Amino acid sequence: MRLPRIFPRPTSEHGIWSWVSTVDHKRIGTLYAVTSFLWFLVGGVEALLMRLQLSQADSTLIDPETFNQLFTMHGTTMVFLVVMPLSAAFFNWLVPLQIGARDVAFPRLNALSYWIFLFGSLFLNFSWVVGDAPNGGWFGYAPNSHVAYNPTDGMTYWVIGLNILGVASIAAGLNFIVTILNMRAPGMTLTKMPVFTWMTFVTSVLIVLALPVLTVALIQLQVDRLYGTNFYNSAAGGDPVLWQHVFWLFGHPEVYILILPAMGIVSEILPVFSRKPLFGYSFLVFAGVAIGFMGWFVWSHHMFTVGLGPAANSAFAISTMAIAIPTGVKIFNWLGTMWGGSIRFSTAMLFAISFIAMFTIGGLSGVMHASVPTDAQQQDTYFVVAHFHYVLFGGAIMAIFGGIYFWWPKATGYMLSEGWGKANWLIMLIGFNLQFAPQHWLGLDGMPRRVFTYAENMGWENTNMYASAGGFLMALGVLLFIINVFYSARKRVPAGDDPWDGRTLEWTMSSPPPHYNFATIPVVEHRDDFWFKKYPETIAEYYHDDHAGELTAPSGAQFDDDVDMAEDEHAEAHASDHHGDDDHGHGDIHLPDMSYYPFILALGLTIVGAGLMTIIPVIIIGTIVLLWGLIGWSMEPVNDPAPDGAAHGH
Amino acid sequence: MQHRFIPSRFLKLALLVPALAATFIIAACSPQHPQSTFGYAGPVARDQGELFLFIFWIAVFVFIVVEGAIIYAAIRYRKRDEKIPKQVHGNTKLEITWTIVPSIVIAIIAVPTIIGIWEQQRGAPTDQGDILEVEAIGHRWWFEFRYPNQEVVTANEMHVPVGRPVNIKLTSQDVIHSFWVPKLAGKVDMVPLNDNLIWFIAEEPGIYDGQCAEFCGIAHAHMRFRVIAHPEEDFQNWIAGMRTPPEPFEAGSSAQQGQTLFATHCKTCHTDDSWRQDAYSLEIQQQDSRWATWLADIEDSRIVSAPNMTNYSQRHFLGAGIKENSRENLIRWITDPNDIKIGTSMQDHAAVYQERADNKANLSPQEIENIADYLLALKPGDISQIVAPLITGGTPEERGEQLFISIGCNACHSLDADTTIVGPSLVGIADRAGTRTSLSADDYLRQSINDPGAYIVDGFTNSMVVPKIPPDQVNDLIAYITTLE
Amino acid sequence: MAASATYEVKNEYGEVINTSTGLSNKKLLMWAFLGSDVMFFGSFIATFLVYRNRSLVGPYPADVLDIPITSVSTFVLLMSSLAMVLALSYIQQGRQKLGTFWIFSVVVLGAIFLLFQVYEFNHFVHLGLTPRTNLFGTTFFILTGLHGAHVTLGVLWLMFLGFGSLKGTLRADNAIDLELAGLYWHFVDIVWIVIFTVIYLISARDVAPPGSPPFVGH
Repeated sequence: MRLPRIFPRPTSEHGIWSWVSTVDHKRIGTLYAVTSFLWFLVGGVEALLMRLQLSQADSTLIDPETFNQLFTMHGTTMVFLVVMPLSAAFFNWLVPLQIGARDVAFPRLNALSYWIFLFGSLFLNFSWVVGDAPNGGWFGYAPNSHVAYNPTDGMTYWVIGLNILGVASIAAGLNFIVTILNMRAPGMTLTKMPVFTWMTFVTSVLIVLALPVLTVALIQLQVDRLYGTNFYNSAAGGDPVLWQHVFWLFGHPEVYILILPAMGIVSEILPVFSRKPLFGYSFLVFAGVAIGFMGWFVWSHHMFTVGLGPAANSAFAISTMAIAIPTGVKIFNWLGTMWGGSIRFSTAMLFAISFIAMFTIGGLSGVMHASVPTDAQQQDTYFVVAHFHYVLFGGAIMAIFGGIYFWWPKATGYMLSEGWGKANWLIMLIGFNLQFAPQHWLGLDGMPRRVFTYAENMGWENTNMYASAGGFLMALGVLLFIINVFYSARKRVPAGDDPWDGRTLEWTMSSPPPHYNFATIPVVEHRDDFWFKKYPETIAEYYHDDHAGELTAPSGAQFDDDVDMAEDEHAEAHASDHHGDDDHGHGDIHLPDMSYYPFILALGLTIVGAGLMTIIPVIIIGTIVLLWGLIGWSMEPVNDPAPDGAAHGH
Repeated sequence: MQHRFIPSRFLKLALLVPALAATFIIAACSPQHPQSTFGYAGPVARDQGELFLFIFWIAVFVFIVVEGAIIYAAIRYRKRDEKIPKQVHGNTKLEITWTIVPSIVIAIIAVPTIIGIWEQQRGAPTDQGDILEVEAIGHRWWFEFRYPNQEVVTANEMHVPVGRPVNIKLTSQDVIHSFWVPKLAGKVDMVPLNDNLIWFIAEEPGIYDGQCAEFCGIAHAHMRFRVIAHPEEDFQNWIAGMRTPPEPFEAGSSAQQGQTLFATHCKTCHTDDSWRQDAYSLEIQQQDSRWATWLADIEDSRIVSAPNMTNYSQRHFLGAGIKENSRENLIRWITDPNDIKIGTSMQDHAAVYQERADNKANLSPQEIENIADYLLALKPGDISQIVAPLITGGTPEERGEQLFISIGCNACHSLDADTTIVGPSLVGIADRAGTRTSLSADDYLRQSINDPGAYIVDGFTNSMVVPKIPPDQVNDLIAYITTLE
Repeated sequence: MAASATYEVKNEYGEVINTSTGLSNKKLLMWAFLGSDVMFFGSFIATFLVYRNRSLVGPYPADVLDIPITSVSTFVLLMSSLAMVLALSYIQQGRQKLGTFWIFSVVVLGAIFLLFQVYEFNHFVHLGLTPRTNLFGTTFFILTGLHGAHVTLGVLWLMFLGFGSLKGTLRADNAIDLELAGLYWHFVDIVWIVIFTVIYLISARDVAPPGSPPFVGH
């Protein structure tokens, strides 16, 4: 079954078309990283504009409508276009490397996720161009987002844009679930998986289960806005509280979707720079799973002031407080990892330590508004703004920056400057605290969130001024990072394969990794397998230091059997990157060919989405492109049956 | 062991940071700020604030332990040599400890939390005096207050008696708003179709700032209100005043012309006479039908829900609590509401604004002044029912000016040297006082306010009645009057 | 201890590879996707239940729902699942013609179900119930409509596979492709059973809630 080709199969290894048609998880990871970093700058500028407006009382610098658009888009951008895809960049780069796989389970689906994300994010931000950016908050509370109260197109862009992005997230989540469950190297049981991969798995499960709930909320709001249905039309009895339940049923797992990857990153950095294994691996992993599970039972703590009644509020107060317990277990285990170590203060480590310190503050303020009576004063004030920025910036972003410094040498082959890096860290940390620590007492002093201005006599002016100054200091920190990237790219200090004395599989290969990752699929015997292969004399300490002794060292003999099993597989060798030195099976390095269709399919989907703003011809065009992508994709073999395998190589 | 580690020095360092932070926080409590959650003036806010502080100090302790341990570990275990540290994999006993200890801490926080939830959400206590029932309704972007038992309707300023529990039923006509008076009680949302309940007791007389806390659209930041707590007697006067019609306006006076203009341009949406018999149920019906009219034609409706204007001159603020209710501000407001507050439904819908391309009022400046004079003359006809407003903030002169208007001094005392209404004009009184009695201007005015009959200016008779004004406010009034030139 | 933790299965290119669970990647993907779809339908069904008896105006469920007709269409959909089982079984056994016949049977039965739905929607609109009429209309049309969209996708997918089977590109050795479509089809079928229970069996007798006017028709 072959259709006539409009394009020839893409084969270029360089240039823009090689990126458009790539299915290599590392290149897709890079695309995610670069795109979401650019959105991070956009979201940051939005934040700075708000801080400028709020630095003085009764300021008229920014008009109220623009201010509402800024905070809506700042939140939406940072959640959906920055922290989630930046985490996805790490998933893409690291998961196959950490589990000993040559790619993710579905490389073309992976490319599709990225392109949908890119087009969805462009569509969402296109609303700025037409001057109708979303203005109903990132939480889009109905009925304020209903067309009766919000007649401009902004929230329609928001609804459709988020739905498009949701498809990308769900597809990526499914891909990583399958990859992690199914593509592990021989010997890598679930209990030997690196914690970052574990947290990716938990996050992916959360994405796959939580995003559909958001999709439902958005579809309901969308049909209400566009076709006049009644889900959130209070005149027809539509209940605004339903929106909040559906949104936060997604929204709270979403919080853990944002923070668990960061926890995974930190769990990789701390052991390497403490030169010690992660303390309490199984407890830490279990705590992560517990957080992911309990995250489903706390959503109503976003709604303590909605009037759910004392019984519901009590139950959700307790479940919310309970989630602090596994979080605490994680923090103590990270401390335990540092304890007794030999700590090297690289930039990555400084970011990771700052993560623990800042996240602890965010966790403590979180317990404060888990207590419903205190939350009655804190809900919707700057106290909450401070809280979740300590979690999401002090937490997620700090960890992500740590991860960037940590894995940059692996991804590029050269080091990021430590000097610029430490300046970046220090300025960012100071700026962050100067911005958000004062916001705690702004909230306690009665300043509500999402106000475009405040009166002079409220007593908030000085504190706001500090916060704004902090915001600009943070921006300087980000600028130092950008300088570092360019500076280091010019210097090109070679990294070597294992610059940090790493512990996990990604450090076993060259930097940057070859596109087939592993010449030989490794056989894993231990957690921190690479470390124990480098330092076999420390194995005994790891398995016998604890009196509980719940773990026993696997005997080498078992592995020999497995290796034998693995050897007699596969027939033909395809790829040119064939390495002759395979002695453990998986001899043919078999990677899928590049494809344009993920790009085309994503484009079609986004055009259809845009057409849903009641532009019928656009829907038709989009459907044609979508079908072209879909049919082309399903007709296209993963690999062309090449008469000569070498034809695809370099 | 080349660098001997000295714990005490380290400990000092570790304690310094949180100690500084704690000092800063306490210094920043600033209970005098208008919306400080530490400026408790009632039991609900106090319980909430004290529970916060309880959790806060536990958090400070945990903070010191964790951050201290981070700093300690970072210093103590920094790299000193190339030796590989022991490859410890974990410690089950420690894990159990740091699971159980936080669980206990959480349980300690949970107990007062649960008690607080049930106390605060059960409704006003029945054993602390007669409960005042109020209904608060959120509108974009103002608050409506109804007193069902007293049959009183007002907007943006809720009057309550000191020391009595107030039970407020919260709802909203359009989107979700939130009712929040930080000094009296934490917020509860006002959700359409969902009646919520909040209660508080104001322990001290005063004006308490409140603000909508749920994002509700473009003017969210300008959706403010005040709770005004009076001694019981003043509260009863205020209620009685709200049921008392103003004195009829003199034919041809500015206020009387304003009344006619108001009836033509404003009255469809703004009720100004809820002192009438059965006006309460009528106003509820009207407000509903205004709402239904708007819903039926959201784009072009000429009718919207609007604040009730009965006894308007008694208001302290205009524009939902964002500007002082002075004649000047009122004229600005009527001329172009957008000049003071963005997004008012009035400007977007009322015919008098829609008739002009720039959406300003289609009235002459004189007509606008007439309407302002009319509104500022809306006060109970029985002067004993006028409650001196509890104005705080601003200079004494500014407070005095508001007082001058809201008590109604301007009804008889002209601010124009050549105009005489009932009493003598007060322009230049600071200079003239000395010519009348031997008292200083201040003392002369104080005497005239407290005892109007003590000195009568030639050509006038003593017909002046003044409400009971607290001494502080008399001073404000004098400060204002002596600036008149 | 399955230290190697790999099992031989066919990969998405029809070649033998090792996976850690013994399930093929595709199958695992489909199961995970169905888990995701459970949350999707679950949220819509929950919305329907939350809004039950809360319409302010008619028509109410008792005014429009016709249980006998929908029972017939439900039966048709259930039978399509049976056909699906047979189709997969024959394809796996290499009995190509029978397999092809049963695949197209699923397609036809699915299409009949969709025709019933089109008829029902049309009928309801004539009775005065549209998605804009009231909460019942909104929740009913969107929930059953999205289910219908799932069925439509399934019908198209199976049609595609049916032609593949006809041309011989779908055979016993890549029957996994049909198995995936089968998993999807059975899932959509099960979702319908839940929807049928919730809408037609539980809510069918709902009349005007207290305080709302009864529906008098047009």
